[in-house]
Amino acid sequence: MTTKSAKYLFIYGSLFFFVIFLGLTYDTMKKVDERTPPITDKIDAGKKVWHKYDCIGCHTILGNGSYFAPDMTKVIVRKPKAYLKKFLMDPQSVKTNATMPKLGISSEEADSLIAFLEWISKVDTNGWPPKPLLASVVGAGIKTLTEGQKVFQSQGCINCHIINGVGGTSGPDLTKIGVIRDKNWLYEFIKNPSSKNPNSAMPAFDNLKEEELNQLVEYLSSLK
Amino acid sequence: MVAKYEGQKIALYFYTFAVLLFIVQVIVGIIAAGQFLYPDFFFLNFNTIRTLHINSMVVWLLCGLMGATYYVVTDESQTELWNVGLAKFQFWATVVTVLLVVLGYIWMGIVPSANKEVFGTLLLNEGREYIEAPRWADLLIAVSAIIFLINCFMTVQKTKHWTGIQGTLIGGLTFLVLMYVPGMFYTKSMVKDQFWWWWVIHLWVEGAWEVIAGALLAYMLIKTVGAKREVVEKWMYIEVALVLFTGILGTGHHYYWIGTPSYWLWIGGIFSALEPVPLLLMVWDAFRTTREHREVANRAGLFFSVSHALLNFLGAGLWGVFHTLPQVNKWTHGTQITTSHGHLAFYGAYVLLVLAMIYVTLPAIRGVKEFNYSRAIQSFWWMTISMVLIVLTITGAGMVQTYMERIIGLDYVAVKAEYNYWFWIWRIIFGFGFLVGVLIFAYDFFTLGKERETATIIETSKA
Repeated sequence: MTTKSAKYLFIYGSLFFFVIFLGLTYDTMKKVDERTPPITDKIDAGKKVWHKYDCIGCHTILGNGSYFAPDMTKVIVRKPKAYLKKFLMDPQSVKTNATMPKLGISSEEADSLIAFLEWISKVDTNGWPPKPLLASVVGAGIKTLTEGQKVFQSQGCINCHIINGVGGTSGPDLTKIGVIRDKNWLYEFIKNPSSKNPNSAMPAFDNLKEEELNQLVEYLSSLK
Repeated sequence: MVAKYEGQKIALYFYTFAVLLFIVQVIVGIIAAGQFLYPDFFFLNFNTIRTLHINSMVVWLLCGLMGATYYVVTDESQTELWNVGLAKFQFWATVVTVLLVVLGYIWMGIVPSANKEVFGTLLLNEGREYIEAPRWADLLIAVSAIIFLINCFMTVQKTKHWTGIQGTLIGGLTFLVLMYVPGMFYTKSMVKDQFWWWWVIHLWVEGAWEVIAGALLAYMLIKTVGAKREVVEKWMYIEVALVLFTGILGTGHHYYWIGTPSYWLWIGGIFSALEPVPLLLMVWDAFRTTREHREVANRAGLFFSVSHALLNFLGAGLWGVFHTLPQVNKWTHGTQITTSHGHLAFYGAYVLLVLAMIYVTLPAIRGVKEFNYSRAIQSFWWMTISMVLIVLTITGAGMVQTYMERIIGLDYVAVKAEYNYWFWIWRIIFGFGFLVGVLIFAYDFFTLGKERETATIIETSKA
């Protein structure tokens, strides 16, 4: 190959691939809106809040960003909105050891941001993030769950609380909760958290049936 | 080799600014690493520190490349720069813009809500990774880049001596400037936002910048070992061609999980798996050319050039291809694995490239034929060993994170705080090692060629 032919290979070959890339870009732009829910003004306002406070400077979203704090793609699925709102406006008031500083996010901004996070959780991401392999098989054929454990699972408590090292870190670790709190306290707290702690960001689980609540309390108080 | 033209000396302005920012980048990098353990120990939060870490890097590398280009264009064209005054203006305008942007970041770091919307864009920080600079700064940077391109283009036009190296270099730089544009408009959809954002980021670092690297590697091989232009340029064309053939569609590896159609899994997977090929070719090219020529004109320059080629392949190529296939990336995407790749890739591909260009051109600018290169080698080993260890700790952290979080299902915060604790500690220690290397390099940069002058002056005064 001569230098001249290498040069032409470079110029025209690159142009060729760039044209293909442009075509795929055009096609992607046409298809993206079908893969996401419609965007309202509130969602757009939420996206602007995301940019304004440079959230990506610590978090990732759709897996892209700063890896210093959790990914925000599915956060709305795991955490109650009321918790998120309180947390966004003043993180340490709901979680004393939170790393996130108080940024000065207003109530209105927090609402928009939550609307935006809800939108992003519904984007068709080709199955990302994948469901953890082990967590999704636990309980399958190993041993039967108690009634209380079933309530714990169905209410998504694990999204915020850790038991034996597994679970979310938004709320307190419940591994030994049975040592610290008695059944009565647990019962009252789950039904209405602010009755025991006015600052609590945990939603009230007053939708639980009396029986379910008792089963859950039974399970939690057995954790010692 | 002595620099004949004023235009070549302009490089020194850019190099100096680049070296100062390099020191800043590494210091804030160590602070950022410290914040993984103690988030509150510094008056600025992690997001501001990280923005400074990454932005100072992008700016100093670009300044280094611009300085090097002013030098190469005047040297290759064998004529004075088209407008030396304009180049100096462009330099100072760039410095002022960069300082204003940095002040804005710090202001926002102290008062986050100060980042208000003005004329439809955010005043201090766009809140988009890597391209945080606000729109007004984007426009000023674009003007500066266009002035720079015009100056280089007109210089070559003076003698119309378009060598392959100049053409590829200016072509790569034009591509770089054009690819800044997709980052300059707002989209309501975060999916489209990230789609266009990757046009900028990916087509810069795995497109335009690698083309520039290919051209500069060819130039350095000619200058350091006197390689034949005909042969070097032919291989350069093949390398940069393969860079773009694989790199353009390789952008697809960023479109796996962001809401874009699933055909990108195939396109991204296939083309990005081929991305290391041209980088390997560059390594082979560097070694082959060096072996064929026994006469070495500039040992430090050659050492850094060959190391650049090798670590470019390791960092950008190998550390990238590890996790580029969708089947692997599904589990590693958004973890510290990406950070480890980012660190080794930028160090190998671009930090060493700019440092190599400084060692190849600085002696001529300062008017020395020979210089003691022991400090250059010393700084290289301090930096390289430290960086490899930093990358290994982050890779380890990423593997633990992938396993604990993605496979077992533990919480992000728990993994970061408990399981990766020691990785963060080691990273800080190696960070200081890297800083030692940078300071040795900076000392060498500011004194190279001057020590001899002092000696001469002393002798003259004695006489």
